[in-house]
Amino acid sequence: MRMQSRGGGGGGRSGSSGPRGRGQDRKKGYKKKFLFRKKKFCKFCDEKVPYIDYKDVRLIQAFTPERAKIFPRRISGTCSKHQRKVMQAIKRARILALVPFLAD
Amino acid sequence: MLKYETIFITDSVMTEAEIDDLIKAYDQVVVSGQGKVLKVEKWGKRKLAYAIHRHEEGSYVLMVIECPADLVKELERRYRMNERILRHLTVRVEHESQLGPSPMMRPRPEREEPVPEMPVAP
Repeated sequence: MRMQSRGGGGGGRSGSSGPRGRGQDRKKGYKKKFLFRKKKFCKFCDEKVPYIDYKDVRLIQAFTPERAKIFPRRISGTCSKHQRKVMQAIKRARILALVPFLAD
Repeated sequence: MLKYETIFITDSVMTEAEIDDLIKAYDQVVVSGQGKVLKVEKWGKRKLAYAIHRHEEGSYVLMVIECPADLVKELERRYRMNERILRHLTVRVEHESQLGPSPMMRPRPEREEPVPEMPVAP
């Protein structure tokens, strides 16, 4: 289900500016299609998470779905500041074999 | 002096007593290098996410230390020399929460909480 939405969203979204919905500078067709899309937000900013711990396997797993790839910002809505920290944490967790580099 | 968080993974064949000896040895290294050990955590045996040198399991040990930078080099050299250490990682302590108990040490009931789901595009 996730894969489907990713493929479909990617196609319709080519050229869009970022994860946050700015309706006015989107193409008309796109706007119509996703008129009632829920606005994405950064989970970490919202909860004021002070430190993203690479030892927190559950948190890391939430950001490495399916094939253990890093969940992209454009889908998760995480802000760039926190995405960088998530990325760092995931990479550290991978080194320690807490989460896999790839899963199939 | 800076604070560092260092983790090493030993092979799962190692007994509890052997691991304790190892911790003691590294403790000695840190203390003799004018450092301080702030925290030691034994996570016990865990399944590795992928096999390292054909080992499917490993025992994790976490230490938080405060020491001069040279000592980190020495400690890592010793990790590398020990063939029973599968993997190690040393990072600088960035946040106070790293000095307290790590998420691994959380009691069971808290772990039963539903995994935080990420918002997925509809």
